[in-house]
Amino acid sequence: MRLLKDLLARRLMLFLTAVPGLLVFLMLLGLVQKSRAILALKSFSQLLFSSSWHPLRGEFGLFPFLMGTLWVTVAAMIIAVPISLLTAVYLSEYAPRFVREFAKPMVDLLAGIPSVVYGVWGVLMVVPFVGKTLAPLFGAYSSGYCVLSGGVVLAIMIFPTIIHVSLEVFSTVPNELREASLSLGATQWETVKHVVLRKGLQGITAAVVLGLSRAFGETIAVLMVVGNVPKLPQSIFDPAYPLPALIANNYGEMMSIPLYDSALMLAALVLLVVVLFFNLAARFILVRAERKAE
Amino acid sequence: MMNLRRRKIEERIFRFFMVTSTVIVLGSLLLIIGAVVVKSLPALKLSMITQTPKGGYYLGKEGGILNAIVGSLYLAGGATLLSFLLSLPIVVFLNVYAKKSSAFATWTRFSLDVLWGVPSIVYGAFGFIIMMFFGLRASLLAGIITVALLELPIMTRAMDEVVRLVPGSLKDASYSLGATKLETAFHVVVRQSLPGIMTAVLIALGRGIGDAASVIFTAGFTDNIPTSLLQPAATLPLAIFYQLGTPFPEVQQRAYASAAVLTLIILAISLGSRLLVGRFAKHRIK
Amino acid sequence: MRKKGIKKFAGVLIISLIILIGLSFGQNGQKNLTGKISISGAWALYPMGVKWQEEFQKIYPGVRIDVQAGGAGKGIADVLAGMVDFGMVSRDVHPAERDKGALPFAVTKDGVVATISDKNPFLNDILKKGISKARFIDIWITSKTTTWGQVLGTNEKAAVHVFTRSDACGAAETWAAFFGKRQEDLGGIGVYGDPGLADAIRRDALGIGYNNINFAYDAKTLRPISGLAIVPIDLDGNGKIDDRERVYGTRDDITGAIARNVYPSPPARDLYLVSKGKPSNPAAAEFLRWMLTDGQKFVPETGYIPLSKEKLSEGLAKIK
Repeated sequence: MRLLKDLLARRLMLFLTAVPGLLVFLMLLGLVQKSRAILALKSFSQLLFSSSWHPLRGEFGLFPFLMGTLWVTVAAMIIAVPISLLTAVYLSEYAPRFVREFAKPMVDLLAGIPSVVYGVWGVLMVVPFVGKTLAPLFGAYSSGYCVLSGGVVLAIMIFPTIIHVSLEVFSTVPNELREASLSLGATQWETVKHVVLRKGLQGITAAVVLGLSRAFGETIAVLMVVGNVPKLPQSIFDPAYPLPALIANNYGEMMSIPLYDSALMLAALVLLVVVLFFNLAARFILVRAERKAE
Repeated sequence: MMNLRRRKIEERIFRFFMVTSTVIVLGSLLLIIGAVVVKSLPALKLSMITQTPKGGYYLGKEGGILNAIVGSLYLAGGATLLSFLLSLPIVVFLNVYAKKSSAFATWTRFSLDVLWGVPSIVYGAFGFIIMMFFGLRASLLAGIITVALLELPIMTRAMDEVVRLVPGSLKDASYSLGATKLETAFHVVVRQSLPGIMTAVLIALGRGIGDAASVIFTAGFTDNIPTSLLQPAATLPLAIFYQLGTPFPEVQQRAYASAAVLTLIILAISLGSRLLVGRFAKHRIK
Repeated sequence: MRKKGIKKFAGVLIISLIILIGLSFGQNGQKNLTGKISISGAWALYPMGVKWQEEFQKIYPGVRIDVQAGGAGKGIADVLAGMVDFGMVSRDVHPAERDKGALPFAVTKDGVVATISDKNPFLNDILKKGISKARFIDIWITSKTTTWGQVLGTNEKAAVHVFTRSDACGAAETWAAFFGKRQEDLGGIGVYGDPGLADAIRRDALGIGYNNINFAYDAKTLRPISGLAIVPIDLDGNGKIDDRERVYGTRDDITGAIARNVYPSPPARDLYLVSKGKPSNPAAAEFLRWMLTDGQKFVPETGYIPLSKEKLSEGLAKIK
C-alpha cells in the first residue's frame, strides 16, 4: 500500500516536473506562431538590424530597441556590480556585528519594494538629478529621461540580489582559511582579495548573472525614466527604448495596425531567445569552471 | 617596509570604497522610502485602507484602496498557492527521486533558470494569449494563473537551493529504516528544509504581489472587491499606476500612500517570514 | 339584452386599454434594469465615464458598472478581444479596427492643447505671438525648428526641448492628426502618461509638449495647472494672437472656443465609446442610449463639450 502511494506520487511528481520544460517550449511555440505573420513579409535579419521603426509604413526595425536594452542593462551592471560586491565584502568581512545585522534586513527591504515604486521614485529624484545636475557637469544636455537614469534605477533594484547571494557565498568560505592567510602576514584586504574572493569567485559570478537576469527583465521602472525614443543612443545621456518597454507601451495598438501585434510578439520572442542563450552560455561557463576546479 | 606601507594604503583605499558603497546602498533605501513617505503624508488616512473607492475616487472624491488591497491579497495568495502546489512536487522530485545527473533534471533546472529571467511583461503577454484562447475575460482567475507562472521559477529555485542542502546521509538513514521515497521526502527532507521552503514561498509572494506588468492585461481592474474568480480584480501596483495617471494632485498623493501600503505589506511578509523561520528551525536536525 | 352586452364589452375593452397603457409605461420605466457593464480605455474620457457611471447607477441601482482607465489603446484592445462592453477611445478608429468589428459612438468632445512651462524665459513673447500650425510641424514632425529663436523670429539660441507621449494614446494621435500625421511621426522624448508629460514640461523651462484639456487645466480653479502655461495657436498665421485667438485663460474659455469651432478639430476631437458590433448586453445598450440623451446634460460641468443634435441622433440610430 505504501509502495503504491509511492508509485502514484512518483508518477504525479514526474508529470509536474515536466511542466517548466514544457512551459518554455510552449512559450517559444506560442510566440513563434504569433510572429509568423511578420516573418513572412520581412526577413529576420531585416527586422533585427534595421533602425527604421514606422509601424504604419510597415517598417519594424528592432535594432534601436535591442541596443536600448543593451545600453541600459550594461549601464546598470557597471554601476551595480562594483557597489554591490564592495558592500557585500564590507558587510561580511569588516563591519562590526551590529552594523551587519542592521544592514542585512535593510538590503532585503530594498528587494521588496515593488517596481512601480522604483519607477515613480526614479521620475521624482533620478530624472531631475541626471538632467539638471549630472549632465551639465559633463557638458551634455539631457532631459533626464535617458540611459543613465534607467541604469541607476535598475542598479538599485539589483543591489539586493547581488549582495544577498554574495553574502551567502562569503559565509561559506571557512574561517580557517582567513585565519591562515592572516597568520601568514597578509593584511585583511589581501586576505579578502586572495582568499575570500578567489574561493567565492564561482558564487560571485552566479550572483552577478542573477542580477543581470533581473536587470534584463525589468519593465515598468525602466519605462518610466528612460525616454522611450526609438533611436540608437549615442551616449548615456541620450534616451533609449528597451524591448520590454516597447511591448508595454504599445500593447494597445496591437489590434489596430496591421502586423503590429506580430511585431510585438516577435519582440517578446527575441527577449525569450536572448534569455535562453544567455542562460546556456552562463551554464556552459559555470560547468567548465567546475570541471577546472576539480 | 615600503611594501607594507603600500599594502596598507591599498587597504585604506578599498576600505573607503567599501564603506562608501554600503552608504550608497543604504542611502538609496532611505531616499526611496523617505520620498514615498513624505509624498504620501497628506493622503495617509485610515479611510485609505478601510474603504473602496466611491464614485469619482480617481477624480479626487472619497474612498480608499480597499479594493486593491483585497484584490492583491486574493490574487497573490491564489497565485502563490497555485505555484506552491507545483513547486513543492517539482523540488521533491528533483531531489529525492531523480538521479543527480539525469538529463531530465538538468533540462528542468535549466528551464527554470530561463523562466526566472523572462521579463514579467512577457508573462503578461503570454497570459493574454491564453486568455484569448480560452475566451476568458480579464479576471481574478486570469491574473492568478499569470502570476503563478511568474512566481513558479522564483519559488522553485529558492526551494531547490534549500532542499539540495539536505545531506544525503539523512536520506540514506531514512531509507535504511525502510521508508519509501515518498515518506522520506515528506517526513524527513521537507521537515528539515521547512524554514527554507517557507522563505521561498514568501519571496515569491513578495515578487508576485508587487508586479504590475503581469497583471495589466490579465486581471483587469474594478472599484469593487471581487466576489468570484471570474470578476476583474484591482491590484495595488495597478492602483498606484492609475492614481499617478490622474491630473489631480490629491489623487497622486494617494498613489504614494498606496505605494506605502504595498511596501508595508511586503515588509510585514518579510518580517513574518523571519519569525516563522526562527520558529520552525527548531525542527531541524543539525 | 344587447345593450347590456355592448356596455360590458366596451367596459372590458376600456379596462384592457388602461391596463395595456399602464403596462407600457412600466416598460419604459425599467427601474429594475439589471446587469453588469464593463468599460475601459482612454484617460481623456475617464472623468466623463465616471460621472456618467455615477448618475446612471443612481437611476438604475441594479446595474453594476466598472470603469477603468489604462489608455485608448487598452480600450480598443480590450473591446476587440471581448473583454469589456465598451472601449473609451480618444481618437478616430482606424480602418483595421473597423475590420475587426469596432463600432464607434461619439459621446462627447474635448481637445488637446500645446503646453510649456510657466517658467519659460520667453513666455510673454510666446503668449503674444502664439505658434502657428506650420511651426508646430517643424517642431514635432520635421525637427527643422530647434531653437526658441526660430519659433519667435528672434536670434535666441536656446534649444527647444520637445516632448511627446511614449504610450500609444489618443492625445498623441489627435495632436499628430492636427498635422495630418500619426503618433509615430511625432518626435521628442517619450514620457509615459498624460500627467507624466505635464510633469516633464513643468520641470523643463525650455520644454514643449501637449496635454488633454482635463489634464492641463485644474478641475477646481479651471485655470492651467500650476507650473504649466498653454501655448496659443496662431490660427491665421499672422504672427500675433488676436482677441479671437485668445481663448486659453480658463477651461471654460477653451471649451467654449471648441464648441464655437474657433479652436480647430483636430486638435479638438470627438470622444468615442467603441463596441464590438451593436451592443448586445441590454444594460450596456441602455447605458449608451442614456448617454446620448439625458446623459448629455452632465457634460459641460465635467469640463467637456456637448455634441450637436445631429451627431447624437446618428449615434442613437446606430444602436438599433
